[in-house]
Amino acid sequence: MPSESPVDVGIPRLVLMPAYNEASHIAAAVQAVRTLAPGFLPVVIDDGSLDDTGAIATRSGAFVLTHPFNLGYGAALQTGYHFALRRRAELIVQLDADGQHDPADITALISPIVKEELDLVIGSRFLDPDGYPESRARRLARLILKRVGGSFGVSITDLTSGFQAMNRRVLVCYTGEFFPADYPDADVLVRAKRHGLRIGERPVTMRSADRPSRLFIGLAPVYYFYRLALALWARDRSADHLKTREGDRG
Amino acid sequence: MNQSPELAELRDLLMNAPEQGTTRIVAILGATLLLVTVLWLVRRRAIDAEFTPIWVLVAGGVVVVASSAGLLRTLTRGIGAWTPSSTVFFFGEVFLVALCLHYSVRLSGLNRQVRTLAQEVALLRAHQDHHVVDMPRPRLSLE
Repeated sequence: MPSESPVDVGIPRLVLMPAYNEASHIAAAVQAVRTLAPGFLPVVIDDGSLDDTGAIATRSGAFVLTHPFNLGYGAALQTGYHFALRRRAELIVQLDADGQHDPADITALISPIVKEELDLVIGSRFLDPDGYPESRARRLARLILKRVGGSFGVSITDLTSGFQAMNRRVLVCYTGEFFPADYPDADVLVRAKRHGLRIGERPVTMRSADRPSRLFIGLAPVYYFYRLALALWARDRSADHLKTREGDRG
Repeated sequence: MNQSPELAELRDLLMNAPEQGTTRIVAILGATLLLVTVLWLVRRRAIDAEFTPIWVLVAGGVVVVASSAGLLRTLTRGIGAWTPSSTVFFFGEVFLVALCLHYSVRLSGLNRQVRTLAQEVALLRAHQDHHVVDMPRPRLSLE
């Protein structure tokens, strides 16, 4: 059944919010974006939620894209990138739909992009040493990731941050086949760097998530680093894709 | 590789052991059963015809090997195995590993296609929904 949207879908600035079973948070998250970043259209990508996430997001004033079934966080983000590319969006922010990220930081995050100093800006919770509490295990994982990223030329303190701002060049890269369906973290940033994108970071405030990080459940950390190593090693077939996409930009 | 006389004798003994006729019959029956099962699954549309050649070839291969007395022994000598049954298990395992790799590759490709399709569905659905809303609504008249 068609859903009505009260928003202008032609707006060139988007906030992408992938959401899976976020019915209890999504309304507040969308409202926060509308209030604190009024020039941006909130786009919620409902990743096959089993609850009313999509309907609540629509009622809250977001433009909603709905996956027919659950595909994963990365795939949901990529759907948003495709949407932004087709809508010819020029400035895109992505943040989590659970309210962990503060839309008040969007202005600071997009500033280097508006000034054309950077293509991709990562919102880092660790630039301020007292900004975000972390366990020893998390700190260790972060330092390993930072070292991995650094060895590939990506010097970012918060490689798992889902709070990012980007321009259209990044969209062209991120809609490539390499983009993972699950966790788009360090490997994706390394790809972006290889494609010549200018990457930087700015401090943002993040509140602790209600749920434990996916990185620290059972054998997840082992699999995470295994998958990361494979992703970094995998042949880069995106160059051809990029050429094609650049031709489609219009 | 040099073998002691006892081992060489043991190997010759195993290689030249008389074949049981029942073993051949069981092998041929097994291959026939496999073939019938595959055809039955195709008839029920549980397997697409494009996936059947490999199983038909396997069933045919088993029948040929079971029917030919010397073929399996020649293969066994060729790969340096001691018993024909080892040869059967060896090729069986190689076949299964190759099959698993083949299906992993196919599954990965299908996974990517499903993801792309689902993303397209989401984008087209949004486009369709908003297109419907944007369409001018017909004026209703009571006259």
